[in-house]
Amino acid sequence: MEQREIILKIKENFSKSEVKVFDEKQFSVFADKDDIVRILSFMQMIGFQQLAIISAVDWIDEKKFELVYNLFSYTHIQQVLVKTKIERDNPKIQSVMNLWEVAQMYERDVHEFFGIEFSGNDDMRPLILHNWKDKPPMRKDFDSLKYSNEIYGTFKKSEEV
Amino acid sequence: MLLTSTNEIKDNGMERILNFFRKKSLWMLHYCTGCGAVELPPTMTSRWDMERFGMGPMATPRQADLLLITGYLSVKSLKRVIYTYEQMQEPKWVIAFGSCPINGGIYYDSYSVINRLALYMPVDLSIEGCMPRPEAIIDGFTKLMKAIEKGEAVGYKKYRENYEWYKANQRNVLERTSAVLKEEA
Amino acid sequence: MSEILTFMGMEDQYKKYELFFGPNHPGMHGNFSYIITVEGHTIKKIDPDAGLLHRGFEKLVEQRLWMQNISLIPRICVPEPDINEAIYSIAVEKLMGVEVPERAQYIRTIILEMARIGAFLFGFGGIGGATGLYTASYWTFADRDYLLDLFEWLTGARIYHMFILPGGVRRDIPNGWLEKLSETVDYLQKRLYEYDRLIYNNPLIVKRLENLGPVTQEDAMKYGITGPNIRATGIKYDTRKAVPYAAYDKIDFEVPVQTAGDGLARAVQKREEFQVSLDIIKKAIQQMPEGSVRAKMPNPLKFRVPKGDVYVKLETAHGEHAYYIVSNGSDKPYRMAVRGGSFTAGLVYAQKALVGMRIEDVALWMATMDICPPDFDR
Repeated sequence: MEQREIILKIKENFSKSEVKVFDEKQFSVFADKDDIVRILSFMQMIGFQQLAIISAVDWIDEKKFELVYNLFSYTHIQQVLVKTKIERDNPKIQSVMNLWEVAQMYERDVHEFFGIEFSGNDDMRPLILHNWKDKPPMRKDFDSLKYSNEIYGTFKKSEEV
Repeated sequence: MLLTSTNEIKDNGMERILNFFRKKSLWMLHYCTGCGAVELPPTMTSRWDMERFGMGPMATPRQADLLLITGYLSVKSLKRVIYTYEQMQEPKWVIAFGSCPINGGIYYDSYSVINRLALYMPVDLSIEGCMPRPEAIIDGFTKLMKAIEKGEAVGYKKYRENYEWYKANQRNVLERTSAVLKEEA
Repeated sequence: MSEILTFMGMEDQYKKYELFFGPNHPGMHGNFSYIITVEGHTIKKIDPDAGLLHRGFEKLVEQRLWMQNISLIPRICVPEPDINEAIYSIAVEKLMGVEVPERAQYIRTIILEMARIGAFLFGFGGIGGATGLYTASYWTFADRDYLLDLFEWLTGARIYHMFILPGGVRRDIPNGWLEKLSETVDYLQKRLYEYDRLIYNNPLIVKRLENLGPVTQEDAMKYGITGPNIRATGIKYDTRKAVPYAAYDKIDFEVPVQTAGDGLARAVQKREEFQVSLDIIKKAIQQMPEGSVRAKMPNPLKFRVPKGDVYVKLETAHGEHAYYIVSNGSDKPYRMAVRGGSFTAGLVYAQKALVGMRIEDVALWMATMDICPPDFDR
């Protein structure tokens, strides 16, 4: 399928979604939060086999988190970014681990770095960070330099160790 | 504060004779803690051939003499490195590679990488550079050998004598129970 | 008597142990750990423990200027660092709409392929190390050094080159460099036949690698296994062909595929791609056009990138390495997400694939799958 046909199909089934074309191999679909599982399973059905990455963007001024599901199709050679926005306080969204098993690990990753809850995904043990007590580090209001100076100390030349 | 510094401890007498033999056969622990480890295979293999200095890789910490901290250390790695260091038998030495273990290097503002390795374990020698070239690594090794012979590389004794100080620093990073940054009300 | 022995044997058989495979393990590739539950020698459950190499790149790039990040990001993937600069530069160029001069495209192609060959040589050595054939690692690391010497001549550094910048490359090629490169390529070509004799025709290696963790086509697509590993299952897909970048659309090359998808197919696939990379370099040297090597770019300190977001992926030796970059129009990136080439293979697919294998196959499986911890720990 050509990119145009895919976009038409998405528009047919999900009239509320917005499509933005980046170039001939890449476009993005902006969907509603409640539609996200439906639209992703639809994408999987029309031949987007690979879930490349799930990532999140912290739009702190809007008080929103944007989740980006990155799909790729080996049959159409198309990259699709399926995006949705959720509230920043008490962020929660449906898990897609039933569609792709790899989503489990990506959601665990996003949960660790942004603090987003995924309902349906139970294994949320910390994966990367050790004994983390502060707010999730990838949030925009987390000050990494201040944290580093506070806990690991700054370099003083006179101090002999 | 440290109870005793490196200048106050020195090997003497019988130790000096042992040190002469120790420096000729150093076994380094085969543990890649960071990106500097990518320069170790060239150092070990045919081109630079570390074995001509009597050094070789060793798989288990209990039989190794030399711990290489190859670059930055994340907090999670630090815990493993300390376990490993404490498993090693004395005499043991630590070499830190690159600028990251000295003052954080390029990761000075990272939330995950420690800034000064010397706060958590005794470092006998630092090799600067990002990353150190094999020549620099070999130069570092020969410097360490000289220091061992002179009885100056006594980090393990320093660790033993200032154990509480090091442990307190390690606990501060590894066993936190509260958040580091206070929430602004 | 024999009854007692069988009884004791049964007791023994059902004992489960937890084994920490890594981080301090000679078979481990980098600083990474699998917590394995074993019954006898057979793996029953596997739990990856990542994060030992976590540096927080995604946060660090948000704190630095667009141009400063060039010196930071090569450190994401250690065996093949150039790929990071290339992805970042291509993403910035796409967002800004900059045309890169043709000569710079060719230089980028050569650098990326050299880095790829270096990573393949590392991989060959890894297979040798995991099977106890240390000759292989001694040879490959020594040969890799010829490439590193060329890199040093060109860029001034052995590992982290920071040579590819948004808008082109840092400098033009020095005199005599291309001739030396051709010599090295010819030398590596000769050595490749030696590797065939040493590794790929070695009956011991072949026996160890055959039927080692076969990957099916469906699994490969579903689990996001990419690069040489997906081509080893028979899917003829290469990002360099399908979504061309640098000068790959101007250079003619064949994409080899294997069908079996097991350890041997993956290893042979890498050997074939090594040959392809050599061919690409040879063609790029022949076709190298004249001209400038850098497009005109604004002042690096006041560098701003227009609002937008882009996902750029490039082919590497261990899979597709990709960045998702978001800009809000300021002088620093707003968000950069890294998709490490072996994230899914090492953390998710391993949980499925390694069950039922024996302990000694884990290191070899990791070597053939090219699991690269720094790129998924970030």
